[in-house]
Amino acid sequence: MDELKVSGLDGTDVKSGYDAQQYIVIKLGHEQYGIDIKFIDNIVRMQHITRVPKVADYLKGVINLRGEVIPVMSLRIKMNLPADEITKATRIIILKLEQQGTIGVIVDEVREVVTLNPSQIERASYDGKEDKTSFIMGIGKHENELISLLDLNAVALEK
Amino acid sequence: MDVNQYLEIFLDETKEHLESLNTQILNLEQEPEDADTINEIFRAAHSLKGMAGTMGYKRMQTLTHDMENVFSEIRNGTMKVNSNLIDTLFQCLDALEEYTNNIQETADEGTNDNQQLINQLNEYLNGSKAGKEDAPAAPEKESKEASESSNSDEKWKEIKIGEPELVVLEAAKSQGKGIFGISVFVEESCLLKAARAFQVYKEIEEKAEVIACNPSVQEIEDEKFDLSFSLVVISDYELEQVIKEAKNVSEIEKIEAGSFEFEVQETTEIHQAPEGKEETAVAALPKETSSAPAKPQKAAPAKTNDKKPAGKPVANRTVRVDIEKLDVLMNLVSELIIAKNSMVADSRAEEGTGFREHIEYLESVTTNLHESVMKVRMVPIESVVSKFPRMIRDLSKKLNKKMELYMSGEETELDRTVVDEIGDPLMHLLRNAADHGLESGELRIKRGKPEVGSIFLNAYQDGNNVVIEVKDDGNGIDVESVKNKAIERGVITPEQAVSMSEKDIINLLFHAGFSTAKTISDVSGRGVGLDVVKSKIESLSGEVEVKTSLEEGSTWTIRLPLTLAIIQALMVTVGGEKYAISLGSIQTIEDISPSDVKLVENKEVINLRGSVIPIIRLSRELDIESCKTPDENIMVVIVKKGERYAGLVVDELIGQQEIVIKSLGKYISKCRIISGATILGDGEVALILDANALI
Repeated sequence: MDELKVSGLDGTDVKSGYDAQQYIVIKLGHEQYGIDIKFIDNIVRMQHITRVPKVADYLKGVINLRGEVIPVMSLRIKMNLPADEITKATRIIILKLEQQGTIGVIVDEVREVVTLNPSQIERASYDGKEDKTSFIMGIGKHENELISLLDLNAVALEK
Repeated sequence: MDVNQYLEIFLDETKEHLESLNTQILNLEQEPEDADTINEIFRAAHSLKGMAGTMGYKRMQTLTHDMENVFSEIRNGTMKVNSNLIDTLFQCLDALEEYTNNIQETADEGTNDNQQLINQLNEYLNGSKAGKEDAPAAPEKESKEASESSNSDEKWKEIKIGEPELVVLEAAKSQGKGIFGISVFVEESCLLKAARAFQVYKEIEEKAEVIACNPSVQEIEDEKFDLSFSLVVISDYELEQVIKEAKNVSEIEKIEAGSFEFEVQETTEIHQAPEGKEETAVAALPKETSSAPAKPQKAAPAKTNDKKPAGKPVANRTVRVDIEKLDVLMNLVSELIIAKNSMVADSRAEEGTGFREHIEYLESVTTNLHESVMKVRMVPIESVVSKFPRMIRDLSKKLNKKMELYMSGEETELDRTVVDEIGDPLMHLLRNAADHGLESGELRIKRGKPEVGSIFLNAYQDGNNVVIEVKDDGNGIDVESVKNKAIERGVITPEQAVSMSEKDIINLLFHAGFSTAKTISDVSGRGVGLDVVKSKIESLSGEVEVKTSLEEGSTWTIRLPLTLAIIQALMVTVGGEKYAISLGSIQTIEDISPSDVKLVENKEVINLRGSVIPIIRLSRELDIESCKTPDENIMVVIVKKGERYAGLVVDELIGQQEIVIKSLGKYISKCRIISGATILGDGEVALILDANALI
């Protein structure tokens, strides 16, 4: 993980200063997504999830995180992607949100931590034609790769 | 001095004193002559004043000061208690409560002077003194300061001697005994003035008989004196011997003494000797009244047997514990139980009797620990219900109906968090009973009932529940009128109404936006209330029921669980998943053959020892495939909700276990049949089924 930490601190990113934000890059299907690090409480391995009946399909159930019961949701189902395939790389990212409290989200893989300047982020423009809510608040450009930055409030919002 | 750190204590104690004042003033109205009540009131008012003064809340202090003056007059018998006075006093308490609330919110008492109330109080005061010596309390207080500074150290010269004492003194003189005056000065830094004073008093008493004391013994014990007090004693010993021992008491600045001269006179001269605060009020009384000679007299019985007067009510001894600290303790216990559960899980895998013994021990320890921690969290509901008699009294005046509140079981204990929440629902129910329940006086007489309506508030423990009943002997609920109202409001359709049972209709009262009061009063009848009561009680995992009979009255029953954190539960499996069912609601467990399941109105029921019980297939409710084939016997857990029974069909039973209830959190709270989750010994999460929601 050491190299993950230094990545983003070399080259042009260093001058970032106050406005730069760190994102954890995760993989979901073929796409890369960024989650603002300040909302992340913990990253844990996939574990047994206790199903809760009669809730939305994207809510997979609850897990025990050090004695606390935390709800877990599937990002894939929430974003209308094919259902999760559990592999060795699958992780649950524990998010701490102001409104919804603590929630876990299942991701295919956690890749690295990047630092992005405001100049490297292109704000998402809202397309009026698309009525389906967007989970993306911007696109980050990092080393010739594009990272979709997740709008966590939209993700956590109940449909 | 930074007083902020004392703010919480101040608030707590102020509330306690206000509560006690409320209760005692109510008592006073019933028994205006009861000395104990008056003393209790005086004590509470005095402490309030002192505390407000220390904390620098001037307005609060002024108001309590004037109240105290009134109480003092009542205590001395110079003022009679009447209904108007009680009303004013209650208004004062309300004002004090307002100050307290302001302080709680902003640490400031606010700017309301309540001058009107103070004027009213002073009117009562002046009224009682009319035609007698005109000596307003406030200037008196100032003159006290002035006179004090000019006083010599031989304060004992100012002691008032009444006639009975004179007789004793003369007798002593004729017997050749020495009569001395002693003034004791306590060091300014002394922390426990009363204790030091008491020590000195005792030392002197060994060698001499105390004839008079200023301030009185009682006041010295209550620390109601400044830095000095004076005695008149008679003794066979020399003066030096009398005070020798007393001088050795630490934190005493000096003791002045000399022989006491007295004159035999018809009228005793009264010196202004304002020592204690309350002394001013007494001194302000007219000379001719018996109050001045009565003072030393009052001290007399106390000194002869040297004991505190009996019958002094003992204040509620409480330990204040930060609720957060308790929560931490509670969590620790929870973890201990989880650890125990994991050992239990392990023990099933390996056979070993010694290990099992350890577990049994651990189990008894954790159970006890749990119980004792729960007890720390328990408080009597008294703190909530004690304000109700006052409320009913006010309602009685407002609604112009005569009513009486009878309470029992105030000592019943509940979890602190529950007690804090239960006040509003109970208040709603009581107001409801007073407003809707009780009929007007004329109607009651016509129906052959006593004119004064009765409202009962009973609390008692019933197994793992605490039951609180609000009962009235009023009109009861008119089912027909409820039904009509419900149809009118569109809550139900006329067709529905026909098929509804009486009970279902009464339950409509808990429907939001339902109120049968014909006119909207500010007591009740805003259409919010009963539904709020219901949801509040349910949020505390409790339930509320009503029984009624027309023209005889109704009973509202609130049933609350004793604890909210750890429960005994039955663990079951359904479709390979583990679920917990609270043991409290389980009646029996039955093994039923599939052929015994009958269909009634297209619903599955079983006939269990003569009663027909509907069954609920949990696999269906939980959207999961049962592991059992349809021809196998089914395992039915019979649960009870109020008067109703239902059978929950499960796949298998695992066993009984103590479980720690964890919230599922806001995010996933939509599921009604799941009341929470728990963590099992192997770290897995199991959900807790809410049997009440299933029925």
